[in-house]
Amino acid sequence: MTENEEYIEVERDNFKTYCVSLCAERKVTLRLMFAVDDRATDNCFKIYAVFSGQNKDIFYIPFFKIKEDDPKYKSITNHIPAAHWYEREIRDMFGLIPEGHPDPRRLVFHESFPADSHPLRKDWKISETDLKEWGEGVVKKVPHEFLKVEGDGVCEIPVGPVHAGIIEPGHFRFSAVGETIINLEPRLFYTHKGTEKHFESMSFFDGIKLAERVSGTASFAHSIAYSMAVERMAGIKTIERIDAIRTFLLELERLYNHIGDIGNMCAGTALTVGQAKGAFIKEKLLQLNESLTGSRFLRGINKIGGVTKDVFLQKFEISETIDMVEKEYKDLLGLLLGQATHVERLTGTGKLPKEIAADLGVTGIAARASGLSDDIRKSHPHLFYYKLDLKTYTRTESDALARMMIRADEIECSLSLIRALVKRRYYGNICMDVGEIPPDSFALGYTESPRGSLFYWVKSDQDGKPSRVKLRSPSYCNWPAVPFAIPGNIVPDFPLCNKSFNLSYSGCDM
Amino acid sequence: MWLEILNNLRSRKKAIKFPKSPQISPGEAIETATPVKNMNKIFGKSLKIRQVDAGSCNACEWECTALTNPVYDVQRFGVDVVASPRHADAILATGPVSRQMELALKKTYIAMPEPKLVISCGDCALDGGIYKGSYATKDGVSNVVPVSCHIPGCPPSPKAITEALLKLMNDIRS
Repeated sequence: MTENEEYIEVERDNFKTYCVSLCAERKVTLRLMFAVDDRATDNCFKIYAVFSGQNKDIFYIPFFKIKEDDPKYKSITNHIPAAHWYEREIRDMFGLIPEGHPDPRRLVFHESFPADSHPLRKDWKISETDLKEWGEGVVKKVPHEFLKVEGDGVCEIPVGPVHAGIIEPGHFRFSAVGETIINLEPRLFYTHKGTEKHFESMSFFDGIKLAERVSGTASFAHSIAYSMAVERMAGIKTIERIDAIRTFLLELERLYNHIGDIGNMCAGTALTVGQAKGAFIKEKLLQLNESLTGSRFLRGINKIGGVTKDVFLQKFEISETIDMVEKEYKDLLGLLLGQATHVERLTGTGKLPKEIAADLGVTGIAARASGLSDDIRKSHPHLFYYKLDLKTYTRTESDALARMMIRADEIECSLSLIRALVKRRYYGNICMDVGEIPPDSFALGYTESPRGSLFYWVKSDQDGKPSRVKLRSPSYCNWPAVPFAIPGNIVPDFPLCNKSFNLSYSGCDM
Repeated sequence: MWLEILNNLRSRKKAIKFPKSPQISPGEAIETATPVKNMNKIFGKSLKIRQVDAGSCNACEWECTALTNPVYDVQRFGVDVVASPRHADAILATGPVSRQMELALKKTYIAMPEPKLVISCGDCALDGGIYKGSYATKDGVSNVVPVSCHIPGCPPSPKAITEALLKLMNDIRS
């Protein structure tokens, strides 16, 4: 437990009223909600909800106990819509039932997964036949109904899970009249790999490798959030030099993602030159990553208690590449904004209204493009962000162009942060001593990944082994908002909208 | 048209076989797939690839996307990524195969015309990698469809993928 986490135990029946009043009084948003199986020690499950505001560096974490023989609690979704996926996930994973939840369907598991089977329970077992049938997908055990749109000329267009481009799997069901989309319903969790359960079978130190492989392009952000949680549990405070290296790499990750995303949006508008140019700059940055850390996706550089290499030793190479990237990027942006066809396709496409974004707890680029100043680097400063001149950019247009321009602003910001970090001198070790992780401890780790705020909540058991690792990637809370941005657009614009959000499927599906 | 069919019959040129029925169960279809001897003639000098993400973390996908960027540009070697399995010679499968993607991977494989190849890409695709032993994965592509070539790496760099693909094409030709 650490200084900016405030745990408050409430009664099961008061949880709903407590959360609602917390949201009303303190203007906080729900960041994360999860359950823990504490039947071994406390003979009950616990459900935690993490709230945080924009102005104060504190996380309010109300939690309540819930018994196995009466696994019901009042759903908060009707008052706090951001909770709707969390509650459905808790129902799938733990079998704890939110009473009054508007959506009775399962979230994570598809039809062939057996009913009444909850993998994150400690005593969970599944038979070989059930597993086999789950994979084969022939026997439908729990039906899944898509939303029906009725009327003259409405047709359904199912797309996926295997798509035409090189992207991750997800199923989308459009209900359209002509080309105009009336409703979109995504079906995700195809890449569900049981990551949270898998964390429990590893040591804390191996867990970082798994965290790096939750979402490919945010590998470093995931490893930072995970290591931060474990370091806070062990009471380690990292020194300036480690913080600076980590911050530098986080910004480098943001830079290559944003430039790559801007380039990729050109694929949605058939502007091949822009796409090629974006891919070229991204490639240069990935090559810099490889030369600095040995991995193009910044893997293997971060560990619990520090980093494995001082990347600032290659100062000259960094500055050279960053200068080149800046020049090429300015070229690219000039080219894109000068293309009427590109800008027109983006303007007014995929509008996500501010109220909906706020209600659903949307984070990152999507939130900032809809006028919410959501940036966890600013509201909860960590690592080296205390000492840096950081600006949160917001726009109110809330369309695909706004999302592109937020990325462009942040690229400028990241470039200046990287320059500022490289200029300074740092002293000390690049790794701290890490002893045993204390038993029965827990902590929250967080950072701003290129896609938005990222959370890990880690708990150790009585032997100091991981007993629960909850991860919440930014894509998890942004996916439910995508269907609200789509209606009214035409089907061929969907890939463009999707690319402007650029959400991870693997990070969401876990 | 009739002349063409006659010519085809005389030259014994075989049309590329599609699976008999889409209703055939995935397991059955996979066992009946046989290696074809004159693969080099059918493929010619090119290799058309359908990429299938079977539960990867998306790093392998980005490296596959990088294959067609101006730096690597694999299209100059006759390698291309196609939009449908119907047009593909090979599947490039990534990820440990999550159980919810198993059926989709099998169906993609069945939808391909013969002869067909499967290339597994990345450490997860070999044996599950870091996800080995998880309840929701199949521990590797070879547990679902027959694999003819593996590209190691986490993720394999575009250079490694290009090299592996060229080597595979070379093997087919000789």
